[in-house]
Amino acid sequence: MTVAADSAQMALAAILGESQVVSEPAACAAWAVGGKIPKYGVEPPTAECVAAILKVAADHDLAVVPRGNGTQLDLGSPPSRYDLSVSLRKLNRVRHYEPADLTIGVEAGMKLGELQDFLGRDGLWLPLDPRGGATATIGGILATNSAGPLRLRFGSARDMVLGIKVATTEGKLIKSGGRVVKNVAGYDLSKLFVGSFGTLGLIVEASFKLFPRPASRATWVLEPGTLGRARDLRGRILNSPLEPLRMVLLDSGATGLFRQRTHPGDEPELWIEAGGSPKILERHAKDLAEIGQSMGVASHQMDEPAEQQLWDQLINFERSLAAVHSEVMVMKAALPIACSEQFLSLARQAAEGDGVNIAGIAQPGVGIVHLGVWGEKLGEVAAPLVTNARKSAESLGGALVVEQYPAGFEGERDVWGAPGDLLHSMRGLKAVWDPRGILSPGRFVGGI
Amino acid sequence: MKLAALVRELEKILGREAVLWRPNDVMLYEYDGLSSLRPPDVVVFPRNTLDVVRIVKFAAQHKLLVVPRGAGTGLSGGSVPWQGGILIGFARMKEIVEIDLENQRARVQPGVVNLDLSVAVSDAGYYYAPDPSSQKACTLGGNVAENAGGPHTLLHGVTTNHVLGLEIVLPSGEVIHTGGKSLDRPGYDFTGLFVGSEGTLGIVTEITVRLMRKAEAVATLLAVYDRIVDATRTVAAITARGITPAALEMIDGFTLRAIEEATHAGYPMDSAAVLLIEIEGLKEAVEENSQHIESVCQENQVRQVRRAKSAEERELFWKGRKNAFGALGRISPSYYVQDGVIPRTRLPEMLEFIGQMEIKYAVKIGNIFHAGDGNLHPIILFDRRDENQSKRVREAAAEILSRCIDMGGSITGEHGVGIEKINLMPYLFSADDLDMMRKIKEVFNPEGRFNPGKVLPTSKMCGELRAEASVGGIL
Repeated sequence: MTVAADSAQMALAAILGESQVVSEPAACAAWAVGGKIPKYGVEPPTAECVAAILKVAADHDLAVVPRGNGTQLDLGSPPSRYDLSVSLRKLNRVRHYEPADLTIGVEAGMKLGELQDFLGRDGLWLPLDPRGGATATIGGILATNSAGPLRLRFGSARDMVLGIKVATTEGKLIKSGGRVVKNVAGYDLSKLFVGSFGTLGLIVEASFKLFPRPASRATWVLEPGTLGRARDLRGRILNSPLEPLRMVLLDSGATGLFRQRTHPGDEPELWIEAGGSPKILERHAKDLAEIGQSMGVASHQMDEPAEQQLWDQLINFERSLAAVHSEVMVMKAALPIACSEQFLSLARQAAEGDGVNIAGIAQPGVGIVHLGVWGEKLGEVAAPLVTNARKSAESLGGALVVEQYPAGFEGERDVWGAPGDLLHSMRGLKAVWDPRGILSPGRFVGGI
Repeated sequence: MKLAALVRELEKILGREAVLWRPNDVMLYEYDGLSSLRPPDVVVFPRNTLDVVRIVKFAAQHKLLVVPRGAGTGLSGGSVPWQGGILIGFARMKEIVEIDLENQRARVQPGVVNLDLSVAVSDAGYYYAPDPSSQKACTLGGNVAENAGGPHTLLHGVTTNHVLGLEIVLPSGEVIHTGGKSLDRPGYDFTGLFVGSEGTLGIVTEITVRLMRKAEAVATLLAVYDRIVDATRTVAAITARGITPAALEMIDGFTLRAIEEATHAGYPMDSAAVLLIEIEGLKEAVEENSQHIESVCQENQVRQVRRAKSAEERELFWKGRKNAFGALGRISPSYYVQDGVIPRTRLPEMLEFIGQMEIKYAVKIGNIFHAGDGNLHPIILFDRRDENQSKRVREAAAEILSRCIDMGGSITGEHGVGIEKINLMPYLFSADDLDMMRKIKEVFNPEGRFNPGKVLPTSKMCGELRAEASVGGIL
């Protein structure tokens, strides 16, 4: 074993230089994923280096987990084995930028916040508000298809990617798509890689289409009183001509959590953000007030200083929960859009029945619901709660994944649920890209 | 397998009325919008997924080739069965299975005509966004295969952005279900991989799509120019200002005169180019953006900007655009439509280049295209019977596409690779890139029996086609 490890380390050193292959246990501990600590850690400076490292890893059977800024690494199952941490932090350059064409190509390690700052000079942005917000890297966002409430208006990273470059376990760099906004030449590997959790190859570079940043933004809060009325309200807004940027529904647990200081109530709230010229914002204000009035629901505009902070807290749901409660579990359901409110109420019943607390945030325009659960009995009830919540989601035509188990959870984890009739094809693809099974092993659906 | 036995077996599976085999019948299936090559051995018409599974399993058992076909409106040879085999026609799988407005989704069989879906949900205020020019005829199954676009995909995205789930029959006969009404199904995004794979990975038997609510307001502008370069500069300036119209189309003077004579859309006969610009959204946004766009047009020496005053006038503006290919067909025995893409800011120099190609190769080229996303459709007019002319067309086409590649663009924006552009793939992708695509194909279609000879150049490709199928080589 030692000999094998040494030769692997030497091969890595041959690419990066000896000092660049970290193997001190204390340093490696910082790269732990799912409780597993790697033997080595590297931060390759170029895409070519990443490819060369993957080849070495494949040759020496080193299990690799890629890392950007670590904001999405809680997602997915813990790796079944883990020898080498490959950080893409140093790959943080802009590769091409055509502001007048509204396109950009960047390396995977670039942080979303850095990218937005860069684009902001030209009044542009990449309209994503994923978990981890500005600190998430492009590679991490793509690998997990992490998307926040802006998805209502703009879709997710999947819909904005024009092309990608990936490093493979054969040590090659493969490209798909390109840098123009429309392109159907060849298979769309970008789609395959987005959301593949680092199990097929490492995304080292991606091109995106860009959008003009809204001139101004404003958020309104409506308090429907019950989830049933929230459902009607959401239906009316989606059927109105309004074109909000974001819309979220906080259940009573979530309003208690996020609005404690500013707002004593614990009833559901619907937050709606719009963007554009003053006239467009006025129109949203007027129509939302009218829709609210027609249902006897008051609406008010959120105070500006608190507004962005509240949205940021909401997007970083896990962190916000962890700041208040030491042990939390977070689940994400993806549902047909009209089922969000019903799912929230089913989940609340289940949690209360199990004697734990729950906070739910829905993006009811796209059918995504995040649930945070905490309480003394969490360790005991976590596993059955996941099973029940998943059953509810599936019975409504959706699916559920566990984004975070409680710290120290000892029971059996079922992050993803059953893979349906796709497992055979998924394994086939995995075998093509990663025949030795060294990339993020065990992290993905069906144990892939 | 002998034809008689093949027909007998397929008739046993599907019934007599679902199998065509007489030469006069199958001949109708040897072509698409690009060209005709050779007919399939038999054509079958399944009514449901189970029928497709039976056909595919039968084909697997006897190692037969299988090619799916919607309406045959494709422009790259994607549905042309050039090596024979069984052609599966989806004319009888044209049911809209479910319209679920509350969830903004519809489930359809692949033979549903694109426009029929929008019509079915129109009264409720919804529509299906991707709108290829052939939308009155083309099927959603074909749209999925080619990842079809259309004028209005500028704002809302192409087919892949609107397809959320698929039922697929793999070459083994195995049925898989990808995605669904909800987003973010755990697992690899097979929906995204299959859209645009041109029937080379599996055959789609049901499609779940997003329905969109119609916008409150629409403005349709016709900007008339005396010089082409002013029109292309306007396009670049609109993009650079950060205004995304719903559609931004350009038609050059030559093409619009042909259109006007055929459809009387009201296009000015003496202009050098027109832009057809549509803005949609909230009333306030439409007003603001229309004004912005008009001022951009003025800054770029527009002769006149006309705004459609009624739904009828809007229809008329679009009628001209959507019937353009047909209009050119009236004045030329053959035409060859290209589908290259370039960065939008390079449009002025590209149009100039295409003008040079007209002179260099002594061919007539009309330009009508999705200017807003840089997707060009140069239409080269010629007479197929004249071999010398055909050769010049091929050369001009090749030079235009290689210029697109040089500009950082692509060889196809929405029509697909098909047979037509298969030998251009190596110019766009490295041997390693293509090798990975081939390996992906092998996972699903290991024997290469599904839609053979499309998308990827393979070593198995037979010699005569390889020689022929350089750009437009099968013209």
